[in-house]
Amino acid sequence: MAICAGVIGSVLGLGGGIIIVPGLTLLFGVPVRTAVAASTVSIIATSTGAAVAFLRDRLTNTRVAMWLEMGTATGALSGALIAGYLDEKVLLILFGILLGYSGYNMFRNRTAELPGEVVPDSLSLKLKLAGSYYDRVLGRRVEYQVTRTLTGLILMYFSGIAAGLLGIGAGIFKVPAMDQIMRMPFKASTATSNFMIGVTAASGAVVYFARGDVKPLVAGPVVLGVLVGAVLGARLMVKMKTSTIRKLFIPLIVYTAMEMIYRGVRG
Amino acid sequence: MTQEPEHGAVSRHEPIELVLARLLRLGSLIAAALLAAGIGAMLLGNSGFAPRLVTAGLMTLLATPVLRVVAAGVIFIREREWQFAFFCLVVLCALVAGVLLGRGEG
Repeated sequence: MAICAGVIGSVLGLGGGIIIVPGLTLLFGVPVRTAVAASTVSIIATSTGAAVAFLRDRLTNTRVAMWLEMGTATGALSGALIAGYLDEKVLLILFGILLGYSGYNMFRNRTAELPGEVVPDSLSLKLKLAGSYYDRVLGRRVEYQVTRTLTGLILMYFSGIAAGLLGIGAGIFKVPAMDQIMRMPFKASTATSNFMIGVTAASGAVVYFARGDVKPLVAGPVVLGVLVGAVLGARLMVKMKTSTIRKLFIPLIVYTAMEMIYRGVRG
Repeated sequence: MTQEPEHGAVSRHEPIELVLARLLRLGSLIAAALLAAGIGAMLLGNSGFAPRLVTAGLMTLLATPVLRVVAAGVIFIREREWQFAFFCLVVLCALVAGVLLGRGEG
């Protein structure tokens, strides 16, 4: 199960927590807190394991990642600070609607391999937020320059809040923000998201370690499995078509959106 | 692997991606080895030693992304990309603040 979560997580640029938490609690009867702690550490495993292959193929854009990590890191901090003061129900519903909308957008563009012509904004040019990678499926180099640089950073701040509040890596917010708003190629978006979630998860994992929620007996095997899965998944992903990855992403985003709204409405 | 003709065109140093890739691979290899050894010891019934090995593996894994931000910061300073070095600093400060906050709560 853990290997499977690692493969899915690394292909889609997510942490795989969506699979691990229900898997551990429902199939193995592990308490939720232990499961969430194990899942947070395994997000780091997905990120670290897959990033090696993505960095080598130049799919990960380190400049974009560093720029956006400012948003996620400060957002996660704010999320942890405001947790308990804000009405989480409203936030869950808002995040759910946001996800549903980006799922709809992704569905409309489901067949597109690349973003097409992009007019970069001045900040993107100034910070040289460009990149190029060799796409093994298309058999050619793909060059790109991102746009709506500041909007992307603001969105990452909110994805960081979601991560801090809900204890997730929030890759599911990061990928659409880079893909749809900043108009980065989808594969570069998932690889860069994958790279970033490791840092977001590390800040959360420290807290779980300090509280003693990380149980070696549970987390050890899961994390090792995810690590192996992530390495395999990354090899697989570079050979996959963008439209295939998108088709896998859409059901997951719709499911997460519905679950968030459901949790928000139910309270 | 595709070889890229980039002879001295972009940077005097090794590309940041390759440096970070090596760091992350090292981190995940050490973590995987410690985890595998720990789980192996667990299966053999050595209950005192095994959890410590696993915890060491998990700790290694936890430290890797943080070290990655530090390494990226150092590389950006070396390349005189002050803006990006500053971005790394912001991320590190937020991480440290988060850790301090988390410990206070826990």
